[in-house]
Amino acid sequence: MRDKLIIGRMIPTGSRVHGLDPRSKITAMLLFTAALILSNGWPQLAALTILSILVLTATKIPAKTYLRALRPLRWLMLFVFLFQLIAGAGNGTVNLAAADPLLWSGTWGPFTLTSAVLSSALLAVSRMALLIVFTAMLTFTTTPSMLSRGVEGMLKPLSRKGTGAERFSLMMRLALRFIPALLEEAQTILKAQAARGADYEEMKLKEKARLLLSLLVPVTVGAFRRAEELTTSLEARGYRIGAPRTAYRQLIWRSADTWFTLLFALLPVGALLMRLTV
Amino acid sequence: MERETAVLVELRDIEFAYTKEETVLKSVNLSVRQGEWIAVVGESGCGKSTLVRLLNALLRPQNGIVSVFGEELTEHNAPLVRSRIGMVFQNPDNQFIGETVEEDIAFGLEGLCLERAEMERRIAAYTDKLNISSLLPKHPGELSGGQKQRCAVAACLSMEPEIVVFDEATSMQDERSRRELLGVIRGMKEQGDYTIFSVTHDVDEMLAADRIIALQNGTIRADCTPETFFKDIELLRDCGIELPFRLRLEQQLQARGIEQSAISKNIPHKRVKQAVEGGHGRDRLDETKRGGPIE
Amino acid sequence: MIGWTRRNAGDQSNSEAVIQLTNVDYTYQAGSPFAATALHDINIRIRKGTLVGIAGGTGSGKSTLLQLLNGLLLPTGGAVKVLDHTLLPNMQKPRLNALRRRIGLSFQFPEQHLFEDTVEKDLMFGPMNFGSSRKEAQSKAVEALKSMGLDEALLKRHPLTLSGGQMRKVAIASVLAAGPEIVMLDEPTATLDSAARRELIALLARLCREEGRTILMVTHRIEELMEVADEWIVMHEGRAVFQGDADELADRSEELDHWGVAVPEQLRCWAEWTARLPQLAALPLPRTAEDMARRIEEAVHGFEKCESTNIASKEGSQQESAQELNDQADSSMDAPYRHEKEVSACVTS
Repeated sequence: MRDKLIIGRMIPTGSRVHGLDPRSKITAMLLFTAALILSNGWPQLAALTILSILVLTATKIPAKTYLRALRPLRWLMLFVFLFQLIAGAGNGTVNLAAADPLLWSGTWGPFTLTSAVLSSALLAVSRMALLIVFTAMLTFTTTPSMLSRGVEGMLKPLSRKGTGAERFSLMMRLALRFIPALLEEAQTILKAQAARGADYEEMKLKEKARLLLSLLVPVTVGAFRRAEELTTSLEARGYRIGAPRTAYRQLIWRSADTWFTLLFALLPVGALLMRLTV
Repeated sequence: MERETAVLVELRDIEFAYTKEETVLKSVNLSVRQGEWIAVVGESGCGKSTLVRLLNALLRPQNGIVSVFGEELTEHNAPLVRSRIGMVFQNPDNQFIGETVEEDIAFGLEGLCLERAEMERRIAAYTDKLNISSLLPKHPGELSGGQKQRCAVAACLSMEPEIVVFDEATSMQDERSRRELLGVIRGMKEQGDYTIFSVTHDVDEMLAADRIIALQNGTIRADCTPETFFKDIELLRDCGIELPFRLRLEQQLQARGIEQSAISKNIPHKRVKQAVEGGHGRDRLDETKRGGPIE
Repeated sequence: MIGWTRRNAGDQSNSEAVIQLTNVDYTYQAGSPFAATALHDINIRIRKGTLVGIAGGTGSGKSTLLQLLNGLLLPTGGAVKVLDHTLLPNMQKPRLNALRRRIGLSFQFPEQHLFEDTVEKDLMFGPMNFGSSRKEAQSKAVEALKSMGLDEALLKRHPLTLSGGQMRKVAIASVLAAGPEIVMLDEPTATLDSAARRELIALLARLCREEGRTILMVTHRIEELMEVADEWIVMHEGRAVFQGDADELADRSEELDHWGVAVPEQLRCWAEWTARLPQLAALPLPRTAEDMARRIEEAVHGFEKCESTNIASKEGSQQESAQELNDQADSSMDAPYRHEKEVSACVTS
């Protein structure tokens, strides 16, 4: 049950991607996102897709697992697709001016659907899917503690003194650790209220508002209880923000990390160049 | 002989309140020697958990003195004291910070500023001791409640504390894990390196302890051996403890004038003896008190 | 009110089944690696007005089973018949409130699901969802509170200001308020102290005996429910490996450990005594300490008569007399609980 949400859990395969420094992976992720935002055509997207597939293959994690990571967000993607389609079709005439050759078009009432609109909607969804899959790759190959340590390492130079980076990294680590637990708890509460006759599938709209309350209050109280217990347990284990600590997992930047980062640095540069030249 | 060991914990005239209206603990005096196993008992809300949280300054009393390891507990030495007192709590989920067992144990060790090699040594040693080496790469979501609690114990012991506090650590566990955990605590007691506090509702845990501290309305109602404790019916009732079935049966039999020795017997005793002579570890821990398994 | 007494074995088979599971399977969403929590081929039958204990270790499927009974989960195979509803695989999602009004489910740590700002409102939540008027709901709230042995004064309190034990009882009352004929409780005694456990179980037994409700209670401590349960179901790795009464359970006590549940003290004590006094073996398992003591007393008196004739032959080896001593030394109440140190001291003396 609890693995419906599979993003956020490392899948050990011992691949070379797993072995990379989290800082290089996070940087790559940022660069990849930038490239996705900058790319506005199919050739760029094709290039990003090919690169993604190469990296995904290198993780030795089966493609099926990546598809499963996409599944919980399928409705959101469908929504984005339809939204783009309708928004584009509503003022399709604007898009007609685009450089794309007009291959096909059809008109239904006020909507004019053109191949260009369809193409841009598909492009939007593909970008989204790529982003999700790439994020999944990051979490599948990096444990949350390494991830948070990576973020901490990258933020440290920014907050030279003070404990900002440490705080942020602890927060991130705890969030990644406890969000699935909180979701599960919410699910149980939903069921418990359904057993008391508040099944959201069988309710009128007005009653649904009340159901929200019956869900929110216990979830909030539960989250606070958990937070309190967690704080006590952190304190009892001698944890203090800013106290000196050693690291069990050392971050080691190897040459592979430099190459990996450079490879991804080419992406937004390339995308930008293509955008300017087109 | 045991009398000669050092006093490790000393509470004097402790008074504690979360709010002004309600005093949780008042005039609590207690001294505990090295190597003792103390069971802190009493009805829910009587201040048991509060009491043990005073030991490592998770809470501070309004009045009175807490001395641990021969030193009065202050703001300054609290961090050091915490590293010498381990705690295991009720809900194993909410004390599991790492995303794998290994990371979780390491989390505490990092705070002790240990070298990587020493961390590795301790992780290996304590997971081996608690029989959870195979769980090292697991995510807490993949573990049962009992396994998680064992990991919590490993994380606590790996910091090599002198005092270990179990705060209702068995109460959310199923029967099997409860017994396993009790076996672990018994093993720790035998090893003799630890002074143990267990806050508990569990009769078996109380019976296994050296000494019972019974709290009622924020004061120590009784400080005695489990043997004495379980003879005092009124005390038991005040502490919310139901006499376990076996003791109730004994009582009934006594009332009917039936002594164990009146019948030719020896079924349970033989087992006890076998267990004492031959058994080791969990088996013995489970069986001795109960007079053996059923044939 | 009808006086409900414990049924004897004779009329058991005749009474009406309120729950009937036939070849029920349940598998969580395909592709889930947590298939261990699924249920396989469950066949159980629960009679009206009985108190049924459901035992099993963590992950044995106990909680999943309860959720199948009120339609929170639909079976993936077989048929679940509850009262006059039948739940089948792949059926169109039925409207289940009519069923859920009649079969209440209290989850583990139900106090965590309270959400209103007064106890009264929380107690009224169920009845009002099931269509009661405000007035009816109010009187149902009071009734439910009383049947959990709580004072009406609590009605206006905020649930979070109650003690742990009170909160638990209020939460269970919030399920009772809807007036269910069947009440299911998932480990209602977890984390309570032993006196509170016993009190809660006594209240549940009263609901069953006096009000005629069918009670299903999940526990991992058979011991606490032994005295009042009419029947037991043991779950192990998603299968119902046992259904029967306490005597049948006693016959299979050696399997309990394998099923991940502890052998209850009642069975251990009884087995020890039947080993000493074989004539006890023919008797049904006494559930209370009083009953057991009485049976033993009867047997001992019969036993002593014949024993006195050949007592001399019983005076055996050194070893035995050492144990005899041991017995006498420990005949006090705490005898079975003495420390191993003391035992070894006695044995070697």
